[in-house]
Amino acid sequence: MGIAFGGKTLKDAVANAETLFKETGHIYGLRTLPLVEEDPAKFMKFQMRLVAACVAARSTARYITANPMALLMEELQFMLAVPEGDLAASSYGLIGHLQSAPFIIRAMASLDFEENPGIRPGDIFSCNDTRYGAPHNADCFTTIPVFYDGELVAWTMGMSHISDVGAIQAGGLGTMSVDAFTDGFIYPPTKSGEDFRLHRWWELHWERRTRTGIFNVMDEKMRATGAIILHDKVLEVVKEFGADYFRQGLKEMLERERRVMVGRIISQMVPGKYGYQAYQVVQYKGIMKSLFPFADRDWLLSYPCATTITGEGTFHMDLEGVCSEDTFYANCYEPALRMVSSIGCWPSFAYSSTLNTALQYVTDWKLPPGSMFNPQNPHAATLTGLMEGSAYLYMFMCVSALAKFARGYLEEVLPQAASGPGQAMHGVFADGTPWAGGDWPYVCAGGGPPQPFRDGAPWTFGGPNPQSDSGEIEVSEFVQPPILYLGRSIIPNYCGHGKYRSGVGVGGVQLILEPGQRLVMNSSIASGGGMGMPSHGLAGGYPEPGDVVMWVHDTNLKEIVRGGGTYPRDIVELLQWVNDGRLKAGKIDVYNRFTPSVECGDGDIFAIGAGAQLGWGDVLERDPLLVEQDVDRGWITKDVARGLYGVVLQGGKVNQAATSQLRQTMKVQRKAESVEARDWWKEERQLIAGKEMHTDVSNMYADLLRYPGFAGRFKSFWQLDEDYALQQIRG
Amino acid sequence: MQDNAVPRETVASLVDGTITWKRAKELVRLPVKDADRFWKYLDVLQSRVFWKEKILLRVSEHLYIVAKGRERLIKCDCGHEFGDYRVNWKLGSRVRVRRTREDMKKVFPVEVAMPDVERAELREYYCPGCLSLLSVETAPVGQLPVFEVLPDLDTFYRDWLGKPLPDESPDWFQDRTCELTGQWARED
Repeated sequence: MGIAFGGKTLKDAVANAETLFKETGHIYGLRTLPLVEEDPAKFMKFQMRLVAACVAARSTARYITANPMALLMEELQFMLAVPEGDLAASSYGLIGHLQSAPFIIRAMASLDFEENPGIRPGDIFSCNDTRYGAPHNADCFTTIPVFYDGELVAWTMGMSHISDVGAIQAGGLGTMSVDAFTDGFIYPPTKSGEDFRLHRWWELHWERRTRTGIFNVMDEKMRATGAIILHDKVLEVVKEFGADYFRQGLKEMLERERRVMVGRIISQMVPGKYGYQAYQVVQYKGIMKSLFPFADRDWLLSYPCATTITGEGTFHMDLEGVCSEDTFYANCYEPALRMVSSIGCWPSFAYSSTLNTALQYVTDWKLPPGSMFNPQNPHAATLTGLMEGSAYLYMFMCVSALAKFARGYLEEVLPQAASGPGQAMHGVFADGTPWAGGDWPYVCAGGGPPQPFRDGAPWTFGGPNPQSDSGEIEVSEFVQPPILYLGRSIIPNYCGHGKYRSGVGVGGVQLILEPGQRLVMNSSIASGGGMGMPSHGLAGGYPEPGDVVMWVHDTNLKEIVRGGGTYPRDIVELLQWVNDGRLKAGKIDVYNRFTPSVECGDGDIFAIGAGAQLGWGDVLERDPLLVEQDVDRGWITKDVARGLYGVVLQGGKVNQAATSQLRQTMKVQRKAESVEARDWWKEERQLIAGKEMHTDVSNMYADLLRYPGFAGRFKSFWQLDEDYALQQIRG
Repeated sequence: MQDNAVPRETVASLVDGTITWKRAKELVRLPVKDADRFWKYLDVLQSRVFWKEKILLRVSEHLYIVAKGRERLIKCDCGHEFGDYRVNWKLGSRVRVRRTREDMKKVFPVEVAMPDVERAELREYYCPGCLSLLSVETAPVGQLPVFEVLPDLDTFYRDWLGKPLPDESPDWFQDRTCELTGQWARED
């Protein structure tokens, strides 16, 4: 006798749900939605009661923890799932993360948890293991089964991003890891409590395995308590509406949402195959040499996507051409990929007044086994792999943009690119107190994307990441006092240029102030390691300029501030100040990709450039008056107005005749500086045939040529011999 | 007029970039999209080009798939024809490649944030007819030009729009790009 409806085991219930969808194309085989159709008002009340319960659980539970990541930065989420795992309702918060929840529940089903350790009323299950559904191990999920009359009717879940995962680097966004053993504390689905109480031994794990044990214990209690609050609310709803209504209602919420999404795709897009490409660079060489010599190399990672919008109104993604799993932080599993890429689906076609995982029935992925997004090594490092999966967040936004542009819904075209570094940090205060944390005000925030009729907004918040929208960027100063915000400003010319440019990116400067005994930082960068994510603009616009992270060590900025002087506000000004001697500086570390750990001292400066997006359309077609306005606002400099946009300004105003003449001259130059594609192809082919390429590029192709589909396309396009091959080079 | 009806002139203002943000937001907030948008869009686009071939789909700012006799071609609004739409039109363009910091700086003025010139080149694809910039890619040597879209036109017109094209064939949804490079290799 199983715990699911009709005496089914959980495992059978999950299998049955999969079969029903496969056979009918409808979630749970629901060809009709009787509850929705018979009394939509009642159904809406039912649905909103559940959503409100999730939101209430989040709003209440966050006060249980002392951890500012949840309390102030609001990096938490509470969710309600059907017994088979699909998420039917959720609070706001980390809205991408709910896509992971079904994987965790289905893992418990497939692992026969019903048999051992048992799934009973009051049980608490915890999981942060990427192999079983978590996006990365900083994202911790706590799950409670909801029983009614002995039947499992639902699951409630709490998740939050924790301060430290006990990895080789402190914090939760590590950049250096070679396998699961350097990823830190990983726990597969675990019965961490019974009778609605967490086991004491579970707290000991947090205390012993992570640097911020107290925070993490409190976070676990917060997640569990929120899930219990939600559990009780859900039971109230079950009693009010009846178990039959509840059981059917959750499933209708999902199927109705699926239909809405398919309907949007069919009514607003164009079916077909869409191309997309992004890259990332991982640099371990010289860092791993002694401790992990097998990982002492660099990688250029290719993130292509052959996306098909099918005639049925679904998205199919073929990722053949993605690099292989390896000894880097960047591997991730399907749940992480679905989690992070869903953030690109929400604004494109999955927007909803409620949040759920119906999306998983509208998207399917071909993930080649052995690739970094489908690792076969059970101990592959996945510490920050979800950041790499974000390449596909932007795929959804760019492909949807092209599909809607073709259909004529230009107002819905939102082609976004990656941006937003996130920092992990740890240290020891002067009194000996160790701490760890992070700061992500730039993640998912930045300049707005351009549209085919307007520029991107200068600076926008990011819905999927609460901290970028939590109000005060300085909130981290309350909890990480050594890093003081000096200011932020828009960086001139820092955008994706085009007929319609992206919003202009922003720079920020922070002063390291009396860090005590130790302060170590590292930063993960979203924008593709200087290669772009995506690596192309749209409709003739230029690709995004990347994120930049910089440390300037041993400065005299404290003396300047004490003397009442001004100080640099962004990365460009910072470098100018160093170059012209206004700021004394020792070593300068500049990164366009994930950084290693960087030790910081009193008076050092940490600076960021972020938020530039891709451009749309030809720069020479930009309205000169918009360029004039940009120059007037200080967003574009006069030399760039002339040299890139071909706009001649006199006394701050456009000289139309001179502009027309200059643009005509620039078009003539374009002809002189370009060649016919056939000649370009011949030249590039010679480089490839002669294997004349950067070591990282050569190594990337050596890897990718092992995949028959990629090898076929590559050799066919470049007309290479069948036996063309490249050897992996270490050097 | 239905609540969600969008006049042709509004569609034209979207195409021209003259629409106000207020009006654009109204379009975003339509509870149900105007179902005839595509036809109005095509009508506006067709009225803006001087040539007569029927536009089947717009695929970029300047580029259209048009019906011409028994062919479906990529055509620029300047009149230049790139050839069969099943071949990546970039192979019919002019290409400029930037490989140095100096050259890259002209289009990425914030030097500290420019693409990685050690691993990547910047490819600019121009229309041979009007020299408009049609696409830009940061790419390592060897990357295949991104084939931005190969639409499934028959499914689109038949199943999604309810107006089948007269020349339907499964062959229309086939990528023919490598056939062209094969031809180039044979001719060289």
